Amino acid sequence: MKTNPINDSLGIFPKSWTEKHAGRIPGNIPIWVGILSELTEFGIFFVAYFIAKFYYPEEFTQGPQSLHTSLGVTNTIVLLTSSYFMAKAMANIRLDNKPKCERYLWLAFLCGCLYLMIKTWEFYWNDLQGFGPSTSEFFTVYYYMTFNHFLHVGWASCAILWVIYRLRCGAYSSKENSGLEALAVYWHMIDLMWILIFPLLYVLR
Amino acid sequence: MKTIGKLEYYLFALIAITLFNTFLGEKFASTTLVTILIALTVTYKGFMVIDHLMELKGANKNLRFLMRLYFVIFPSLIIVSAFY
Repeated sequence: MKTNPINDSLGIFPKSWTEKHAGRIPGNIPIWVGILSELTEFGIFFVAYFIAKFYYPEEFTQGPQSLHTSLGVTNTIVLLTSSYFMAKAMANIRLDNKPKCERYLWLAFLCGCLYLMIKTWEFYWNDLQGFGPSTSEFFTVYYYMTFNHFLHVGWASCAILWVIYRLRCGAYSSKENSGLEALAVYWHMIDLMWILIFPLLYVLR
Repeated sequence: MKTIGKLEYYLFALIAITLFNTFLGEKFASTTLVTILIALTVTYKGFMVIDHLMELKGANKNLRFLMRLYFVIFPSLIIVSAFY
């Protein structure tokens, strides 16, 4: 696979991390700086969750039982499906099949929108049940994590629109698609964070 | 280039594991065993996305190591939390 020039010249990571020494970097280094920063941010949320659960075990046993689990499951499936569409978009750009790549990007975008709608409905449903960020320590952590994740899905969905525009402009091909791949790995990172958030907030009691 | 069949297999496996996790959480009391099972499946799901959808398998070994480490550390904390 051809080496992306930016991954050789951007001296952020040690030399041993370059593509020459450690292997190909999907996307580009700047997106990985972003991804590692986001992982740190979510890591702090997860640590906060475990500390809060240690001090308020009762709230964290009751809390998940108050949530609309079906909406959480549906959103998990929607995000996993969106990741699949994103992988299919990557597979098709490598074949230079741009119409199919665009179709899969639109499907991933629609999944992102569906996730946002379901999450908005879930926040509304919580509100109808009388649950809010200050209801208990569990709900404070719940809103902190899920709203933050909500924002990430929102701006990544906007990024899909930008990538579709760039694709239509002819910016991506089987030889040069690092911009599209950067979005794909970012989108998968968002999916990965939900894979951790879902059991913590909806399943474990 | 991945074959189409493989991507679909990963999607169905990920959905099946998600439904299995939810079933465990809904139908069984949150015992240590259930918590450990859920933590292990979360790790497996994470590894699957990292290796096959993010395509880090065979790519940069340091990035892959960091991503996989994340899905070892936090599921381990899930297991630790079962003993609170």
